[in-house]
Amino acid sequence: MIPEFTRAVGVPRLAGIAYPMSRPMGRPGDARGQREVLRALLDLLISGRAPDTYVELPYSWPETPAQARKGADVHPPIAQLLARKPWLLPKLYAGG
Amino acid sequence: MAKPLSECTVALITTAGVARTDDVPFDQERERQDPWWGDPTYRTIPLGTTESDVMLYHMHIDTRFGQEDLDVVLPMRRLSELASVGVIGRPADTHYSIMGYQLRPQVLETETAPAIAREMKARGVDAAALVPA
Repeated sequence: MIPEFTRAVGVPRLAGIAYPMSRPMGRPGDARGQREVLRALLDLLISGRAPDTYVELPYSWPETPAQARKGADVHPPIAQLLARKPWLLPKLYAGG
Repeated sequence: MAKPLSECTVALITTAGVARTDDVPFDQERERQDPWWGDPTYRTIPLGTTESDVMLYHMHIDTRFGQEDLDVVLPMRRLSELASVGVIGRPADTHYSIMGYQLRPQVLETETAPAIAREMKARGVDAAALVPA
């Protein structure tokens, strides 16, 4: 996850977790792990009393980043465009 | 919180571009034509929907995992389990999905998010958890 992005838009309470993109709640089939993460997220509704409350959840992913990316077949159109026209990159940083 | 979590109706929002297969897909074709654009609309996902009922249309994430187990991105079953042990009051009947690639978030901010909020309020939702994918 990218908590900096989510925090920047002003959500009242934010739980960061060091899990790979695409799997915010955990691994497929890991009901127990998903339930723990969701429980921790919901606990923030009680403990987060001030605006911009941010906590990092104490869970780690059981794979290296390379292992977590293995087999990924993700080709966003914007990445393909920027590969062809890299001079457009500043436009991306400016918000399109 | 105006009341204890154990009495709250809780809704979930995923940014994974989930849509039921009997609903309108998120617009991938327009994004292919204009890669600066991302579909800013939302879909409702009834409680009880499973991975076999949906497609994930977000082209910037690895959709294999949510397609294998929807709870990876929209944990409705886990929410129901937490309701059954009293952590929350009950899961909402309806949950929500947006597509998180939004370089130009004006429509999302001014139309989609308020519409979701109005719908949640009308359906008696007390608290919502956003799950960014």
